[in-house]
Amino acid sequence: MSIEHEQRIENNDDIIVIKDLNKWYGEFHVLKDINLRVKKGERIVICGPSGSGKSTMTRCINRLEEFQRGSLTVNGVEMIEDVKNIEAIRREVGMVFQHFNLFPHLTILENLTLGPIWVQKKPKREAEEIAMKYLERVKIPDQASKFPGQLSGGQQQRVAIARSLCMNPEIMLFDEPTSALDPEMIKEVLDVMIELAEEGMTMLCVTHEMGFAKKVADRVIFMDAGEIVEQNTPEEIFNNPQTDRLQLFLSQILDH
Amino acid sequence: MKEFKPLPDQPAPNDVVGPIHWIKENLFSSPLNTLATLLILAFLGTVIPPLLDWLIFSANWTGTNQSACTNEGACWVFVIAWSKQFFYGSYPAEELWRINACLIALVAIIIASYRLHKDLRNKVAIPLFLLLPFISILILDGSWIGLEYVSTDYWGGFSLNVLLAAASIIVAFPLSFLWALGRRSDMPFIKSVSIILIEFFRGVPVLALFFMGSVMLPLFFPEGTNVDKLLRVWIVLTLFMSGYMAEVFRGGFQAVPNGQYEAADSLGLGFWQKTLLIILPQVIKISMPNILATFVMLFKNTTFLLIIGIFEMLSTTQTALTNSNWLGGHSTEGYLFVAIVFWICCFSMSLISSSIERKLDTSHKN
Repeated sequence: MSIEHEQRIENNDDIIVIKDLNKWYGEFHVLKDINLRVKKGERIVICGPSGSGKSTMTRCINRLEEFQRGSLTVNGVEMIEDVKNIEAIRREVGMVFQHFNLFPHLTILENLTLGPIWVQKKPKREAEEIAMKYLERVKIPDQASKFPGQLSGGQQQRVAIARSLCMNPEIMLFDEPTSALDPEMIKEVLDVMIELAEEGMTMLCVTHEMGFAKKVADRVIFMDAGEIVEQNTPEEIFNNPQTDRLQLFLSQILDH
Repeated sequence: MKEFKPLPDQPAPNDVVGPIHWIKENLFSSPLNTLATLLILAFLGTVIPPLLDWLIFSANWTGTNQSACTNEGACWVFVIAWSKQFFYGSYPAEELWRINACLIALVAIIIASYRLHKDLRNKVAIPLFLLLPFISILILDGSWIGLEYVSTDYWGGFSLNVLLAAASIIVAFPLSFLWALGRRSDMPFIKSVSIILIEFFRGVPVLALFFMGSVMLPLFFPEGTNVDKLLRVWIVLTLFMSGYMAEVFRGGFQAVPNGQYEAADSLGLGFWQKTLLIILPQVIKISMPNILATFVMLFKNTTFLLIIGIFEMLSTTQTALTNSNWLGGHSTEGYLFVAIVFWICCFSMSLISSSIERKLDTSHKN
């Protein structure tokens, strides 16, 4: 805990502060001078072509990816090469993946209670109560005793969201949460995310669902070639793009 | 608006399913296939009746010595007369309950871990399982727990094959998992030590390992200590098994999708929590068929111990065959009996293996 205190910076509204962040995969420069400040409660949608670094940047925030230069502060804790520090940050940050990544050998309920029991050291009963509360919020409490393989993709993704929420995170990261879903299941997942956004959760969402961006985002970030090219309100981004690159991207995704 | 109604399902036509269709499709689908079927049937027809006659109908079943074997068929009297030796070796007759107790405990724990609820299994059955080899040694030896001392010189027979194989795999299980983890480690020292251990015990023939165990291993112990031969064999078998299983586990590790590690990380689980709660169960599930196959191999390899003078089942059989009262050439019956006993055990393990696989498979729909 002392680490957290030492590195807690001046109290302000920015829950995520990324400064001059650079990352290389071997020789390949994937993230170039990323600067980003996210306010508490802000909803951010990140879009861009594949390979633009949007997933990689998001994954840096909970240290699923390392970076080589720059600094990253989450909820006042600076990301440094220290297991305690990394785990402290991961406790504050929930993540939802493209392929759900539920634990296939555990029931839905066990998937949800694992973190509260082992990381937060909560008693089993309390963890199960929390789990059921969130399963009800994502509207599948009746599936609690099933295994992930028995659920549809949309249901699995909603379970994955509930699993993250059980840890009571300050920030939720979504890495293309609807890209692996059948068209008929995208809406049920987006509905859950919209509800979450309306409750004031800080969210960073990598997605191509532009309808979702227009509806809930406070800010849309457009990335290409490892850089943040433009960031603005959804209205400005979609109606008044400042760069030819964004204009081209929008014409590609909206024209069909 | 028009309402959409799906068409009802209809039963499959008779020429698509059913036994007659199966025979047609698999045995008589072409002239060549028909010919092969008939030839195989003719071959079986000529071989099976005399075989059954020798094995069962003309065989000698009753009596106590070889003069009872008057019929042309197999002399099962030999096997029956020696059955106690085959199974228990020279263990004192009034102490046999100890061996039975160990075997029953082994079977009971296997059944319990299969039937019990997950929580009980993890908290009770698995620790008991890991302690079982050591408890068995205490019971079989006896001297530490106030029972009559039985030297390992008297341990033997098929029960020794079973207990030795079980004791080896039980200790090899956690050991090989650590080796496999070590081989995946980022730390150069741990990684190279693991690779050296795994490759040594996989690369050297098991017979050579047994000789090393009985000749070389004592050199590593302090001078004057006399380490029991059976204990040395147990160590060798365990390390040999660990080398193989570590590679089986490594394959399992590689088959667990990266997303599982990431999901565990993003929840804030520590390394050992992640490894034991998320990765290990999935690795075991993926590796189960290969673990059982490796175990069957190890179990059969315990017969090699006859070469270094351990009285397991095969060497007990050889001793019986050279007994002066039974010099009638019963080797066919003797070796056939050994083969049948081992086959039954190994086949049962295959059946258990596939039922465990089905039990572990949570990807099904219902």
